[in-house]
Amino acid sequence: MTFQNNNTKEISQELELGKRPIAIKVSNLVKRFDDLIAVNDVSFKIFEGEIVGILGPNGAGKTTTIRLLTGIFKLEDKANIEIFNEDITKNLSKYKINFGIVPEVSNAFSDFTVWQNLRFSGGIYGFPKEKVEKRSKKLLEQFGLIDKMHSKTKALSKGLKQRLNFCLALLHEPSILILDEPTSGLDPISVKLMRNRILQLKKEGKTILITTHDMLEAQTICDRILIMNRGKIIADEDPNTLRERFKSTSTIRFKIDGVLSNNQKNTLMDIFDNIKEEDNYYVFSSDDDIKDIFMLYNFSKENNLNISDFKVKETSLEEVFIHLIKKDSISKGGLEK
Amino acid sequence: MISDALNRIWILSKKNVMLYINRGPVLIFGLMFPFFMTLSWVIGRDISINHVFIGIVSMTSFFTATAISPVVLPIETREKSLERILVSPISLNEILLGIVIASTLYSLVITSIITIIFFLMFSIVFISLTTIFLMFFGICLMSILGSLLGVLVAANPTDRTSDVMLIINLIKFPLLFISGIFIPLQNLPSNLLFLSFFSPITFLADLLRFCVDGSNFFMYQVDIIMLTMWIVVLFILGYFLHKKTMPKRLAETKKMKKK
Repeated sequence: MTFQNNNTKEISQELELGKRPIAIKVSNLVKRFDDLIAVNDVSFKIFEGEIVGILGPNGAGKTTTIRLLTGIFKLEDKANIEIFNEDITKNLSKYKINFGIVPEVSNAFSDFTVWQNLRFSGGIYGFPKEKVEKRSKKLLEQFGLIDKMHSKTKALSKGLKQRLNFCLALLHEPSILILDEPTSGLDPISVKLMRNRILQLKKEGKTILITTHDMLEAQTICDRILIMNRGKIIADEDPNTLRERFKSTSTIRFKIDGVLSNNQKNTLMDIFDNIKEEDNYYVFSSDDDIKDIFMLYNFSKENNLNISDFKVKETSLEEVFIHLIKKDSISKGGLEK
Repeated sequence: MISDALNRIWILSKKNVMLYINRGPVLIFGLMFPFFMTLSWVIGRDISINHVFIGIVSMTSFFTATAISPVVLPIETREKSLERILVSPISLNEILLGIVIASTLYSLVITSIITIIFFLMFSIVFISLTTIFLMFFGICLMSILGSLLGVLVAANPTDRTSDVMLIINLIKFPLLFISGIFIPLQNLPSNLLFLSFFSPITFLADLLRFCVDGSNFFMYQVDIIMLTMWIVVLFILGYFLHKKTMPKRLAETKKMKKK
């Protein structure tokens, strides 16, 4: 199943996003490593100010797509990348200043201090020393690194290194941020800080492309999700639409204050045929949760019962992801181990 | 535009000097090796001071020039910092020139210190004042040449410095032994003399001989032309090899990351 050529979806996306310009337009990306096709004819668009997440299992082609986008890998003939409607294949170095890249693993110079790394990056982008120093201090304060500015990068923890990567990526004020699994392996406090910063950057108008394995992260911060498998995009939707599209059954769980009579229990079982009792809770699966909630409400009202601790567990993005990957893998000849 | 490029090259050079000057392979193969090599050559032999001076300056210049340039790219591939550089607006040429300049400066400083110390300790006499400048020019050419040789060998898309150091040592030692440093070209048998024309050190040693005692084999103009030709050839070869192997270097990094 491929979505990128679905005209209806593209039109609706553009309508939804109003007159926002297209920040990144990628067409026909292909990358081969010997016999392996790591990225297979990938095309997508990202609008200005959007946060788009690329999800996919290991080896799906996420990082390779990013490497193609940022010029680390050479583009094949048919491929084309436009940044704000300008073809970057003609002068990639001119457009590299549009990108701020946060890698999964720190790639700052480990024997340089935090400050030296920032000075080096600022110099490379041609900023005057005073501007680099002013901006570096601002970023170090924002990311809580100001007291580590004279520490060697190799002495920093993974979380602090990742904060430094954000500072380095933002130093030259790029309009597009590319984040390759930015919260992978970080402690919950660092993860929260990073997610808040990403949302703040969106508010500041940055366009953000993020690859992640974390479904919660994708669900909470992304405006749109591209799911990749075996080098292809197999879904391109906003998280809620994706969940709605692949919604199967919800699980409804509730508690009834007091003890039910046998008669009431029988009535309840007649209404919800798969209802079970688990640790003082009643649990049942529902194909139509709105209708079932309404019926439960009527039941409690008629029997003068008080329902408490009521929960509906909806299809999660993780379930959608697993469903799509399985479906795509089976259609292409079985699941990989 | 050109000034921006020059600025970037200078920043890259400074980074290379700051980060790699005290790395193990640079200290071992750049300083310790020529020092012990000279000691083992000189001690117990009746060699004229001019001959020793020529040998020490040639070896120091060549060994120090080939010390930094081969290690930069393997280390930066392993530490992923090469990717940081590649995603910024820097061209391959600028990266390579940054390495060559750092390596050349390192070689020039060390060789100049050794030359001055030797000059003051043993009162080396030059045939004219002009030849002092000519000697410095020759050392500059050898520093650039050695740096380019290191860059060329570093085109091997590996992230292990030992791989590159092995190759460069396999090239360096034969070049040194056939160069006429240990035995003057006039005394070499004809087959070895022919081989010595394929070593760039031959031409530096010959140029230094002209400067110190005028016992040169070729005309000094020939020495300069040959050193310059080596520089041009190594630069072109290095650039095209790196252009060819860079995608493989990055693809290999990705494979290693997956492992």
